[in-house]
Amino acid sequence: MKWNRIGLESLTFPEPKKYTKEYLSNLEITNINLDEINELSTTKLEDFMPKEAKGLGKDFTSYVEEYYNSGISLHVPRNMKVEKPIILDFLMDDENPMVIDRNILVLEPNSEITVVINYKTKTQGHCFHNGLTKVYAKENSLVNIIKIQNLNDKSHNFDSNLAIIEGEGNINWVSIELGGNITGSNFTTILNGDASQGNLSSIYLGDGDRKLDLGYSMIHKGRKSNSNIETKGVLMDDSKKVFRGNLIFKKGARTSKGVEGEYVILLDPAVKSDSIPGLFCEEDDVSGEHAASAGQIDKDKLFYLMSRGLSEREAKKLIIQAAFRPVVDKIPSEELRNSINTEIERRIINE
Amino acid sequence: MEKKKTYIEDINRGIYDIKDEVNYSYKTDKGLTTEIIIEISKEKNEPQWMTDFRLKSLEIYNSKPMPEWGADITDLNVDEIIAYIRPNTEMKNKWEDVPEDIKNTFERLGLPQAERESLAGVGAQYDSEVVYHNIRQELVDQGVIYTDMETALRDYEDIVKEYFMKLVPPTDHKFAALHGAVWSGGSFVYVPKGVNVDIPLQSYFRMNAPGAGQFEHTLIILEENSMLHFIEGCSAPKYKVNNLHAGCVELFVKENSRLRYSTIENWSRNMYNLNTKRAVVDKNGVIEWVSGSFGSKVSMLYPMSILRGQGARSEFTGITFASSGQYLDTGTKVIHAAPYTRSTVNSKSISKDGGHAFYRGLLKVAKGAHHCKSTISCESLMLDNKSKSDTLPIIELDNDNIDIGHEAKIGRISDESIFYLMSRGISEEEAKAMIVRGFVEPITKELPLEYAVELNNLINIELEGSIG
Repeated sequence: MKWNRIGLESLTFPEPKKYTKEYLSNLEITNINLDEINELSTTKLEDFMPKEAKGLGKDFTSYVEEYYNSGISLHVPRNMKVEKPIILDFLMDDENPMVIDRNILVLEPNSEITVVINYKTKTQGHCFHNGLTKVYAKENSLVNIIKIQNLNDKSHNFDSNLAIIEGEGNINWVSIELGGNITGSNFTTILNGDASQGNLSSIYLGDGDRKLDLGYSMIHKGRKSNSNIETKGVLMDDSKKVFRGNLIFKKGARTSKGVEGEYVILLDPAVKSDSIPGLFCEEDDVSGEHAASAGQIDKDKLFYLMSRGLSEREAKKLIIQAAFRPVVDKIPSEELRNSINTEIERRIINE
Repeated sequence: MEKKKTYIEDINRGIYDIKDEVNYSYKTDKGLTTEIIIEISKEKNEPQWMTDFRLKSLEIYNSKPMPEWGADITDLNVDEIIAYIRPNTEMKNKWEDVPEDIKNTFERLGLPQAERESLAGVGAQYDSEVVYHNIRQELVDQGVIYTDMETALRDYEDIVKEYFMKLVPPTDHKFAALHGAVWSGGSFVYVPKGVNVDIPLQSYFRMNAPGAGQFEHTLIILEENSMLHFIEGCSAPKYKVNNLHAGCVELFVKENSRLRYSTIENWSRNMYNLNTKRAVVDKNGVIEWVSGSFGSKVSMLYPMSILRGQGARSEFTGITFASSGQYLDTGTKVIHAAPYTRSTVNSKSISKDGGHAFYRGLLKVAKGAHHCKSTISCESLMLDNKSKSDTLPIIELDNDNIDIGHEAKIGRISDESIFYLMSRGISEEEAKAMIVRGFVEPITKELPLEYAVELNNLINIELEGSIG
């Protein structure tokens, strides 16, 4: 497989291996039936997922469907509000260098859940992640999905996320991309029902020769549906990033609104930053907007902070942290928030 | 109750759609073969290098695949297109000498009148050959050359040889190769050092024969410290068969020069408009594109500015109006290849009655092109939900010391704007009309007065109910 935009000459999937470690630490919720959903929703969800929800593409998703070695299936019953977040911790090492996770979430009407999935490595060797997360959120349900990726600099990371949201349903995606050598990540949300809502906040940090391809799509089908994509990132050293953000208004999505913003701070001359924001519209009574900006750190801000006695690097760190902060704050775990903040700080200061 | 909508009238094509009888002194068979290419070249008495160039281009054309992205052009059968039609007249430089039927066509389009009133020179092309060319004497005295490409190839062979298809080589894409093989007609402008041409020059391209192709080549060279405004107009009557326009525009803007290139394109709705336009700008030079796309069945047109000199600048202002049965895929490409270069893109589109407007753009900042600045703004207005409107601006940055901003908007006219204007004492109808006029205003103000009036006439607004 060839991946032109991030300059990947060829990619072959490795031989699938088992992942034997425990990753689900805090599942104490009794009402959720894991087995039932395994049978029930896999085939059913396939039917629900329309053609436009491709994720990273058939090669990636069918690999997961065939070889998955981990993941959860959750069926949240009607009216159930799961207050504690469900946290999945994947820690790859030399014995378990592959995570192929397939996650399925079905939310019955009026239910709520938060899922945090954390991908890390504890080795310097090559690790591989290819995941697929499918969400079906029914009427008036609320789902928060937070994905944190901090693999080592040799690893490959691929992740496809698909969601269908029914009437007045709500999805909030948070994506934090800090590691990996090559990252391909895709979040596609189909706002199927009237007044459904999809939000996506993401941050990324490109350093070394990291390559990121981030694809976010919001497909509006229901009336009065609302979407918001906000991406902030920093590129330094020889890193490269591709951003593809699509707002798609299908016929019938009257009075829907979509907003997309992409902001990137460029710190070194050798970085490469591609943006392909798309607006596709088949309905007149909608409003869609996208904005993008790219450049160095605002000189006035830098000057102000330095006049207060901060070194240039510290000042830069502060400005970047301030940009990332609102997204990091959405993580419902103090421990995780702190570890991310420390990681970002370390990487910018030791650049 | 059914919501009433403001209706924006379709462009009145009355004067464009009048067909003349097809009189020709020479025309090639349909399709493309080596023999046809040699025939065209011989008919035009071209030097050997040009004949070779055409044959080489044909070879490239045959080796390239059809583009697979963008518009659906499977309906277009190049083998059915007649590559070359010579109208039954020689090139004239007195209006009275142009044959009656051709003269009438251009009279209807208002060309001679425009020449008398606001232009420094005019060229008119009818099918494959230029039938009329005229330029004011004072410009000739200053050394400005404005003539058709055939004459240029004969009289200024050295200049043509140096620049011809150097900016858009036939290897660029399939239709550039096709152009290289069968090009005919077009304008050649040469502005010497330090000359300011302060009134515009205009070329008008008219296609009359059915099932034909127009492949005009426009080559403009501005020497240092010079200035020019060039206007290009295009139209054709509608036939049942498909016509093809695969022209090529090459603009060379040297140090400290300024070129404005305006196009009002109003081809008929059976036209495939696959045109290639490109400008290269040297140090402190400026290229300004003003582009109005109203006609054609399918358009794929992305004027490109290559800013290769330090401090070079490009400005693009474009409007696209896609109505029933039209797929207009337009945009612009800007390559920042030198430090301190700047670019502005301002694009507007309106789609109605099932028309499909697509803005597709590219902004590229090369490595080492530091201190570049660019702003891109795309706005789309949709007038009903049978239509489609898409925006896809691609941004590629290879460098950190830059300042890039981009924004795009799609949708209807907001109730807030109307409310605001009404709160100022303006009637609802007038407020709506103001907003639509305001939407296209950035284009109209860039055009010479006669054209601005014409453009305003093209978009007639009939107000009834709400917009959107």
